Amino acid sequence: MLHVGERFRSMSKVVGIDLGTTNSLVAYVKDGVPVVIRDASGDGLVPSVVSASAEGTIYVGREAQRRLLTDAARTVYSVKRFMGKGAEDLQDEARFFPFKVAGAPDGVVRIGLGDREFTPPEISAFILRELKHRAEAFFKEQGEFDFEVERAVITVPAYFNDAQRTATRDAGRIAGLEVLRIINEPTAASLAYGLDKRHTGVIAVYDFGGGTFDISILRVEDGVFQVLSTNGDTHLGGDDIDRSFIQAFMDSFEQSGLVVHRDGQYDPTLVQLVRKAVIQAKHDLSDREEAEIVLPDFGVNDESGHIERMPGKAYRSVLARATFDQEIRPIIERTLEPCRQALADAGLTASQVDEVVLVGGSTRIPLVHRMVGELFGRTPHSELNPDEVVALGAAVQADNLVTGNREMLLLDVTPLSLGIETMGGVVSKIILRNSTIPATGSEMFTSAVDNQTAVDIHVLQGERELVADNRSLARFKLRGIPPMPAGMPRVQVRFQIDANGILSVTASELRTGIEQTIEVKPSYGLTDEQVERMLVESFEHAEADFAARLLIDARNEAESVIMHTEKSLRAPEFAEIAKSDLAADEGARIIEALAALKQVLNGTDRDVILQATHVLNDVTKHLAEVMMNRSVHTALAGKNVDEIS
Amino acid sequence: MTAPTIQVCRTCGGGAPIDVHFCPQCTKILTLGRQGDYFTFLGMPRKLNLDVDALEQSFRALSRQFHPDYFYNASLAERRASLERSSYLNDAYRTLRQPVTRIEYLLELEGLAAGSAERSATNSQTGAVPPALLEEVFALNEELDEVRSLREAGAPESEWKARLHSARQPIDVKRDEHEEQLKELSAKWDALVDAGGSVEDRRPVLKALHERMLERNYINNLIAGIERELAL
Repeated sequence: MLHVGERFRSMSKVVGIDLGTTNSLVAYVKDGVPVVIRDASGDGLVPSVVSASAEGTIYVGREAQRRLLTDAARTVYSVKRFMGKGAEDLQDEARFFPFKVAGAPDGVVRIGLGDREFTPPEISAFILRELKHRAEAFFKEQGEFDFEVERAVITVPAYFNDAQRTATRDAGRIAGLEVLRIINEPTAASLAYGLDKRHTGVIAVYDFGGGTFDISILRVEDGVFQVLSTNGDTHLGGDDIDRSFIQAFMDSFEQSGLVVHRDGQYDPTLVQLVRKAVIQAKHDLSDREEAEIVLPDFGVNDESGHIERMPGKAYRSVLARATFDQEIRPIIERTLEPCRQALADAGLTASQVDEVVLVGGSTRIPLVHRMVGELFGRTPHSELNPDEVVALGAAVQADNLVTGNREMLLLDVTPLSLGIETMGGVVSKIILRNSTIPATGSEMFTSAVDNQTAVDIHVLQGERELVADNRSLARFKLRGIPPMPAGMPRVQVRFQIDANGILSVTASELRTGIEQTIEVKPSYGLTDEQVERMLVESFEHAEADFAARLLIDARNEAESVIMHTEKSLRAPEFAEIAKSDLAADEGARIIEALAALKQVLNGTDRDVILQATHVLNDVTKHLAEVMMNRSVHTALAGKNVDEIS
Repeated sequence: MTAPTIQVCRTCGGGAPIDVHFCPQCTKILTLGRQGDYFTFLGMPRKLNLDVDALEQSFRALSRQFHPDYFYNASLAERRASLERSSYLNDAYRTLRQPVTRIEYLLELEGLAAGSAERSATNSQTGAVPPALLEEVFALNEELDEVRSLREAGAPESEWKARLHSARQPIDVKRDEHEEQLKELSAKWDALVDAGGSVEDRRPVLKALHERMLERNYINNLIAGIERELAL
């Protein structure tokens, strides 16, 4: 029997969303195959960056990322690090961010975006709305009648706690999405990998992203993807690598006499320049032995030896892979202990793992590849794009949920133990970590004095013995216990972790059968009313209008062409190609067109940008062909990148 | 043949026998009401040496029947039923997978729970020393006292740590003995189940299992205590 309501529900589109620290993606399933939804220039990644102009226009993605360099103080990135966090979690980190981060009386962090303040779920909702918009534009262009996207599966790091998961679900709701399911990133990745490999065995998914690290050990059998154990660090990722280099550069600049502080903080524009250069170098080092670090408009004063601002000049230094590896080794080593713990929790040894899958942009670092390979004693898989595989898996799960496809089933676990505070500030565990979800647990309470009618309950998550060392999830008062002599009431409090890994609590007095409704005040979360209000507010503050969006699309395309051109120019083989394959003035014409496009990129005339993009595209066509041919030849010669380098 | 009707279907109001997961009348998933126990729910015999492969297989098969993923489009009552039934399944699977939790659960079923989990604001757990361990506990406590005074007197770490390690040895031996005894008792229990042994036959085995489990917990606490000392 099909109800009208259900029929209607099944019409709108469903998507899978990877809401990442650095980049976010949206994917959907087409004819049984998951596909990433890309913009006009073929780019699937939406930088997880949100920026506000002085006029109050909100920019998201590439455009916001550009504004990091022009308007750093009004631009927010890595918001995922603040999801579900309280003020006291922030101490260390806040000074590296050019935007304002502060606690608020209700315990939820507030982030300054332009002249206004938002909670992390609201900032994330801007990103989610951008992804929703991208998907809807795509479906519309495909000629779909029902192009609207109202439902999504959103991924989170496996090691996210209840507060972080709830914050993610809230972000979805604020963005106007029905969140079908919150699933874990490594598990999503295993789904994407498992699609064409209907095998049986143990898989380790090593997910090292921009801001978080996860390891999950799964057993795949009869189409059931059963997570045996998971571990990780929600505060460890590519960001930490960047930050360690930014710090090193700032220190060396300060030593050489450059003023790096402004108003007691690092100069936000300088930080962003260094950050951009460091990230570029990190990416370059994925497939070459050394990379150049370039800071435009900085130079060395020959007389004083100081680095200072010098418009028109550029500060250059070279970073060798060996130096890079040495610096980042301790960071990567921090990922190995969680791997060992996950193996132990699964009751397995490294040699019992059949396959290792790499997920997340940071796994492109050759040293990560090598160290993970050594730990598990086998070459890790990286066939699928590590940036995209999570979104693809989320799309598969979204599709399975709405179509009722029963071919595959995900059985995930809760990453952290759940407990309550008992005498002496000690935690009594109720649901142990690595329990398959959904899971329940219960605890009996009674009264300590005659006619006591209420009991205070403090819910915690974590593995440590003492309350103070664990994450406080919620405090509530259990009221309405019937007056009885001390020790007589039998109040059963039930904890339910659902398939999203999110907790709910109910209670009943067993002698009288009185059910309690418990109002759980999350320690670091938003109330339902707050979420509702934010959803309404988000409609009132309209996004950039249509014209602004067209301009942004043009800039995005231009940026993409610039990026590819610069990459070709930096490639080690370029000099050789220029000599043997390019016409005498071809290189010069490319550089000229490149400079011309960069000149107009930040202007507001869309046609001018499009025109300059077109020109650059034309003059680089030949170069692109030559490089393509060379890489095909290299591949045909049967050599892989490792052997060449 | 008529099985006793114990569950009531929330969707059609019909009745269903115990440990059936879907309504025999309307085929909808049943709300978790009265059910048997973890063993019967998973279709396993009430034994202590379980066929782990069969357990895993049953767990996967049942997961495929009532995981919430498969009820996304269903009515509220069915979604609720699926959540409850899956949770119960997961709890059952987790409990029966490990030999130790399996024994604890059997004892609970047979009315020999290892101390009720009731908690109050004043309740603190004081465990009396099991008689079988008196000798070891006495010796260990004396040794621990001496180690502490050695440490306070500034003795080198290697010296008092070595004494802790040797103090631990008899406890480790005890623990191994207990593991053996638990295995033997488990086999005995299973044999009784197979032979259809009477309650009078089963009782002493359960009682012995209960005592060994209490002692086992006590031993584990002792070892944890030594490890805490070692970490100082």
